[in-house]
Amino acid sequence: MHGELKHEDVEAARRDLADRTLAKIRGDLARLIYLASMRDYNTGEYHHEGLACMFTESVAGKAIASCHRDVFKRLVLCSVKELVEQLELYARTNCSSSSELAHVWAKLQPYRVTVPLECSSLAGRFFVSNIKAALAILESRQLGAHREPQSALPDP
Amino acid sequence: MSVLAYLLLAALTILNICLFLSGRSGRLDFDREVDGTGRGTSGPFGGDPLNSQLSARIFDPEDADFVATETSRRNARQFRQERTALALDWLRAVRGQVNQSIRAHVKDARGNAGLKPSDEIRLGFEFLLFQLTSAILYVVIWAGGPPRAAKFVGYSVELAGQLRRVTEDVLPAGRQVAVELLGGKQERKS
Repeated sequence: MHGELKHEDVEAARRDLADRTLAKIRGDLARLIYLASMRDYNTGEYHHEGLACMFTESVAGKAIASCHRDVFKRLVLCSVKELVEQLELYARTNCSSSSELAHVWAKLQPYRVTVPLECSSLAGRFFVSNIKAALAILESRQLGAHREPQSALPDP
Repeated sequence: MSVLAYLLLAALTILNICLFLSGRSGRLDFDREVDGTGRGTSGPFGGDPLNSQLSARIFDPEDADFVATETSRRNARQFRQERTALALDWLRAVRGQVNQSIRAHVKDARGNAGLKPSDEIRLGFEFLLFQLTSAILYVVIWAGGPPRAAKFVGYSVELAGQLRRVTEDVLPAGRQVAVELLGGKQERKS
């Protein structure tokens, strides 16, 4: 009985998080970054003050973890082409250029800390490999875009 | 007779090569520290390396083609190497699960007087066939990359599914995995 109630609470917290917060974030990649940012690096537990006040700390944590897994699963099954689109959307909504994002992410590799704790090593490595490829494509496209205007200039 | 002997010898040679290759850890390894947990490939993502969606993605040629057309040769080569390493790890995980099931079956079968010898022989034959198929698959992935091995994967997973179904009477967990495998097979067909 207690388990059932708990499950319902987690479901309610999940819905609340999805409707009030995640629905307003554009793109799964941005949602993933947001959800991963609520995780404590040392304990692996998630914290969200508002959600914890409405429900309990443990229910909020479970709801966030569940949303994190769902979003990650969607992204890990995306093609590289779709990931490139996600990265472009993420760059646009965060007021940075695609080239800047590709450059900084290639150095800092923040996508590594977005992998859920329960995820298998295989899925995690698959995701990281795809993101790296998507970033390389983004960088190649930017280089190509820079070269095109130059080549369009008339010869002196 | 001599043809059969040659075939057997060839199969054993391939098996030995594969066992040797599978023992060489770290050859095509990359980013193993990704989650920093040191867990193997058999953990949950949704946990199961037999997860059909993930394996279908690993063997899908679409990504490799896209990366090859959109980026430099160096990046495309690195991507192919990473996919090959992932596919080989996936295969190791599948083999590990099947081996674990068979070991558990053998352990439980020792105390079971109601087993039919014909069923056990069939199971043994299918296990041998699976080992051979997965060994060939290992070589194909290693040499040609995951997209070229995609056709063999279906057969290998089908065999793994058959083995699980045969052992499910003894192992309660076998039923669930067989259902997952069959579900994955149907997804691929559709």
